[in-house]
Amino acid sequence: MSVRSIVVTQFEQVAVEQHRALARLSDELRLLDSGLDSLSFALIVARLEDALGFDPFDVADDVKFPVTFGDFVRLYDNHK
Amino acid sequence: MSSASSSRLSIAQARSPQAADCAPAGGVRDAVYFDSGENKLFGWFRPPPASLASNIGLVICKPYGYEALCSHRSLRAFEETASALGMPTLQFDYLGTGDSAEIDAQADQLTAWTQDVIAAVSELRRRTGIQQVCLLGVRLGALLAVLAASECAAVTSLILISPIVSGQRYVRSLRTARLAAASMAGGHVEATDGDDSIESSGFLISAATLAALTKTDLKTRAPPTVSDALVIDGNALPGASEWTKQLSACGIQARYLALPGLIEMIMTAPQYAQIPHEMIAATRDWLRQFLNGSATRGARRLEAVSPTSAPAMILRTGGDQPVLLTERPVSFGPEKILLGIVTEPRQGEIRRRAVVLLNAGADYHIGVNRMHVTLAREWASRGYVALRMDLAGLGDSGTRSGQQDNEVFPAAALDDIRAAVELLRSSYGAIDITLFGLCSGAYHALRAAAAGVPVNRILMVNPQNYFWKEGMTLDDLQLAEVVHNPRLYPRRLLSGVAWKRLLGGKVNVLRIAKIYFYRPLLALESSLRDMARGLRIRLPNDLGWELEEIYRRGVRIVFVFASGEPGIDLLKLEGGSSVKRLGDYFRIHIVEGGDHVFSQSGPRAIMKKIVSDELFARS
Repeated sequence: MSVRSIVVTQFEQVAVEQHRALARLSDELRLLDSGLDSLSFALIVARLEDALGFDPFDVADDVKFPVTFGDFVRLYDNHK
Repeated sequence: MSSASSSRLSIAQARSPQAADCAPAGGVRDAVYFDSGENKLFGWFRPPPASLASNIGLVICKPYGYEALCSHRSLRAFEETASALGMPTLQFDYLGTGDSAEIDAQADQLTAWTQDVIAAVSELRRRTGIQQVCLLGVRLGALLAVLAASECAAVTSLILISPIVSGQRYVRSLRTARLAAASMAGGHVEATDGDDSIESSGFLISAATLAALTKTDLKTRAPPTVSDALVIDGNALPGASEWTKQLSACGIQARYLALPGLIEMIMTAPQYAQIPHEMIAATRDWLRQFLNGSATRGARRLEAVSPTSAPAMILRTGGDQPVLLTERPVSFGPEKILLGIVTEPRQGEIRRRAVVLLNAGADYHIGVNRMHVTLAREWASRGYVALRMDLAGLGDSGTRSGQQDNEVFPAAALDDIRAAVELLRSSYGAIDITLFGLCSGAYHALRAAAAGVPVNRILMVNPQNYFWKEGMTLDDLQLAEVVHNPRLYPRRLLSGVAWKRLLGGKVNVLRIAKIYFYRPLLALESSLRDMARGLRIRLPNDLGWELEEIYRRGVRIVFVFASGEPGIDLLKLEGGSSVKRLGDYFRIHIVEGGDHVFSQSGPRAIMKKIVSDELFARS
């Protein structure tokens, strides 16, 4: 299963759990417009750490939160 | 000498219907204040029926912040379950949380709260004469329970729900949520008091706490000195199974379960929060077995604690010029099912002014970000009597017979607000009364004023709707959604993926169609209502007419919105030309950079200053 598929699955699962209407996931989709909130993203990142074994936000340097869904997937892809 | 106090403040503890299969009738639940060092903590003490009295009590260690808000009802269900088995219970708020006294913003919360848990254990023992205590902790509360157990010999067993095993990982998740929140707010990252503390969902974690948490890892610590432990992970977020094995290897009778219900209990919006039945059932089974194994039932008779007066806490606020306030819980309303906390100004206050703070959504009476507590104390220090209350079915109030609990728009909300106003008039002599509310609280304030409840001011923050029909649910079409997303839905309607989802039955096409067509209909309706108003014809559900009527009665009407809130446009559409006609007693403020619940300290401080200024503006 690709990183992208795992990420998509987590976005969809968390959206259902949080009663949120998830926008269509495309690389260009701004996370701001995704329908998810900060709590949802914290959950997604925690779940992805369990699924993938790493947390790309666990770095000493200042890390910026991705702007688009594509950025989000790339952050995980590049960290592999 | 302990200055703890209690009362017979039994809030007709009707349990939530969801808890009905988990515990028998609620029984007496006393509001109490007790000491932790030099500070006062608020809690709920529940003595068991004497016939069932156990020699083991239960202290509940709450999670922190947003998780504590969401899990409020569930924790009560855990409490009821233990009580039904004969255990005296104490659930309490750590310093600087809930209804307890304030904490120094720089303090190491981890250390302070561990001492609070130990103080709660002592308090439960003092009240009941029990010898042993089981700590039930959730998330950060579970970590605190483990830390306290290591320092307190009276703690002999633990129930840990989704414990924070790695403080470092917990801190990381807080930072991620913070980072995401900042990104959602347009990339604006707010420094908190210029230090390394962070604010997560509006709740502060000090730099000292973060440092202490980062160094805390249960896997590398000596195990707690308890005989038995039940560890329940959420099956969607497991993380404690390895540590539980460590406990077993150290000779602790440790049981591990991964069960559903965690996300629904603590990691969702409070109005959607659900009681985790499977976790509660597992807790009940484990406790029953543990109590039987301990053979302690009836081993010690409970000592009666005679309540001498209603419990109260004296608070010192004001920095250089300290002001003494009194805070106490009250039960009121015809059936005495309503619970509120009243903060009274210093003795001798001659201006008889009062403010009622109404629930925001399904958040209990402390409000989002615990804002109602800080506002109540600030306003009381300036002379107001402040009542932060729970409507029936919410928070610590009881639920009316035949009604659902956790309803954001309960049918009898108006009755509850009338009861609050009557309480402030009759018991506190208030002659100038203000209603304050955020989101649904704002809606209820408006409805109360429109219904003629005698108030002088309504302060409404981020209302998202101005009308609500009985029978609607939160999942029904919200006009705010129509106003907010006029372009998003048609775009989605035209996308290929949307059609695939539609054909797969994953999209409610009627809902989207309604959203698409409602906006122009709303604009047309607004114009027609303006015409009707001009002809002095009153149409049903006419917000403009209602606002003018409220205004004519001399009630000051104040709206405060975070920029971008859908309620702004909705107010313009539904209020129509009336909004422009109203004069000085009608104010609309917009706060840049805020979100719906003002979770960031900067915009929140601006909003709080605006509502305070409006509260103290000369009428």
